[in-house]
Amino acid sequence: MPRKKEPDLTNCIRDLRSARSGMTQQDLADRVGVTRQTIVALEGGAYTPSLALALRIARVFGKTVENVFTLHE
Amino acid sequence: MNAMQKVAWTEFAVAVTAVVTATVLIPWLGAAASAGFGVLGFVVVGLVFLSGRGGRAVVDERDREIESRATKIGVETAWMTLFVVLIAATLWASYSGTHTVSTGFLTWLIWVQFAVCYAVKGLAAIILYRGSQRAA
Repeated sequence: MPRKKEPDLTNCIRDLRSARSGMTQQDLADRVGVTRQTIVALEGGAYTPSLALALRIARVFGKTVENVFTLHE
Repeated sequence: MNAMQKVAWTEFAVAVTAVVTATVLIPWLGAAASAGFGVLGFVVVGLVFLSGRGGRAVVDERDREIESRATKIGVETAWMTLFVVLIAATLWASYSGTHTVSTGFLTWLIWVQFAVCYAVKGLAAIILYRGSQRAA
């Protein structure tokens, strides 16, 4: 039985973080309540976040989820 | 390396150490060498890594997802090991003419199953974390 393909989700978290000079991966991790390794995995496209985490990240940058994450189908 | 990676390494190391310890003790203790599996109790040492650090998240949703997948792999592997070895032992006992399987063998099988569960779970978590780091 063919497995359902994982959605190809990209994000611009690294760019948004860079735009906010001085915001480190640890700073963002602390603000959204995850570990720094999860931010590293997110920025590298190795992890698809839950809806709640995606919303929290978008809120930190004052953007909508669609502005931060892009779904490629 | 985050807290859950340390826990995974602890589980893997303790499980392998338990199997090695029990195996090494066989020449001296015989069937009682299964006492070496008591080393498995040291898996609780991994809990030390989960203590809070200044209000920062120690375990998050990604860790829980990896833990869940690793546990599933570990438990399924342990059950398959149990079934396959029980079938093999039953067939061997039937065709060899002994028609019995010793309780000592079954005791060892249960302990080995626990060790396999923790070893595979730990190894699966290590590989899953390494995969995500490489991709990042």
